[in-house]
Amino acid sequence: MKYLVLLVGDGAEKAWPDQSESEQAAAMARFGEFAAACAARDGVELLAGEALTEPGDATVMRTSSSGEVLLTDGPYAEVIEGMGGFYLLEAPDLDVVVELLRILPRYDIQIHPTVDVAL
Amino acid sequence: MRQEWGRLVALLLSQFRRLDLVEDALGDAVEVASRTWPVDGTPDNPAGWLMTAAKRRVLDRLRTEGVAQRKLPLLLTDAERQQEGARTMADGGSLVEDDVLRLVLMCAHPALALEAAAALSLRLVLGVPTADVARLFLVPEPTMAARITRAKKRIVGAGIPFAVPDAAVLPERLDVVAQVSYLAFTAGYAPGTGPDLLRADLSGEAIRLVRVVLGLRPDEPALVALLALVLLQHSRRDARVRDGRLVLLADQDRGRWHHDEVAEAMRLLRSPVLAGPVTPLTASYALQARIAAEHATAPTAEDTRWDRVVGLYDLLLQVSPSPSARLARAVAVAEDRGPAAGLAALEGLEIPSNHRPAAVRAELLARSGDTDAARASYDQAIAACGNDVEREFLLARRADL
Repeated sequence: MKYLVLLVGDGAEKAWPDQSESEQAAAMARFGEFAAACAARDGVELLAGEALTEPGDATVMRTSSSGEVLLTDGPYAEVIEGMGGFYLLEAPDLDVVVELLRILPRYDIQIHPTVDVAL
Repeated sequence: MRQEWGRLVALLLSQFRRLDLVEDALGDAVEVASRTWPVDGTPDNPAGWLMTAAKRRVLDRLRTEGVAQRKLPLLLTDAERQQEGARTMADGGSLVEDDVLRLVLMCAHPALALEAAAALSLRLVLGVPTADVARLFLVPEPTMAARITRAKKRIVGAGIPFAVPDAAVLPERLDVVAQVSYLAFTAGYAPGTGPDLLRADLSGEAIRLVRVVLGLRPDEPALVALLALVLLQHSRRDARVRDGRLVLLADQDRGRWHHDEVAEAMRLLRSPVLAGPVTPLTASYALQARIAAEHATAPTAEDTRWDRVVGLYDLLLQVSPSPSARLARAVAVAEDRGPAAGLAALEGLEIPSNHRPAAVRAELLARSGDTDAARASYDQAIAACGNDVEREFLLARRADL
């Protein structure tokens, strides 16, 4: 099963720019630890993972029923206003994903399975 | 037969991994059995007979399914977590009990809403008919059927596994199982609306769920404390209602309490697993059980050690503060130190859309002789009360002023 893991909010952590250098370093260490734990775990593979620029840089693209494309600035919805990054992760099940994500800083996270679509 | 339900569901799930099919297949098998066994006689191995019949149903369904359905995602099991070969270990049949534990942990998963998890647990683990689960949660049967179907879809869709998690997280997962069971119990014990004050038979099903899980994890503190708590509450069921009317604890005929259940609860409370450090949830269940035990072991209402009850509520409010615990503490304070002290303990307590704070205030005002204020509080409580039996009770108390 493939999971899209969205780091959607700061949760119990201070916003990134408000963190001291040592706090940022500790958070980075947790990301490293998470990647290592994924690599060490049978049946788990980190397929992708990136940090995102600030939410104001996001663009929402909507296409109307007549085919007109409408672009708006900013994130789509409240839930991803604070989105800081994402992972695409192959894992056996939700319990394994949650277990591994405990390693990360205490962000609010949305876990969403993907659908296999043959193109 | 109902004792076998969860085990058969678990076996069918680990074999076919089709959460959408096994329950219907087993239901059909049970239905056929209920017609044929009385005529042909009960088979030597009833569970084996049902398993064979249910398997045949699943295989029939799989054979007639279209290609589109064959591509539906399957329930995830721990086989996916392990390398090939690991599964053969579990095929000997010796790990059957683990299969039931897998089933319970899947149904009572933290990624499901508590109420959906409770309904699903009663249905899949215990085989409680959907109509009864609906009655327990006070919703129409089609609503409950849809809720159970949605929960099953979510399990497969979100990737909730049919598996026992890592030992490190198992205790907190069993805490969720306890919460789910307690929700199912309280839904029957104090429904709050509708004509039944108490649906004891359905609360009994929740107790059965706790017993099933405790049978698999006998030393789990949360489950030991929870079983003690629900047994003590359940032991009073026959004395709580007389002629369709609510009977207060003090007025209940203690001879009608189930003293065997009280005795079992007292044994559980003495269990060494509750003596050590426990989670806040376990501590909260154990303290509530000890409060109930003070009542259960007092020979008459007058003998109740209210000073000890107040002390236990003080501890409970430290472990898990809640408005309902504060309310109950105020009642105990009033019994111990008089209505004025009780009213002082009630100061500022409100529970949104709940009639009980006003009802208690009214009772204490009446006891302290302030009839006008008592009448006003009764009016407030009656307006907020959604349970027919309790409203009758409040109306009668108001008329007695």
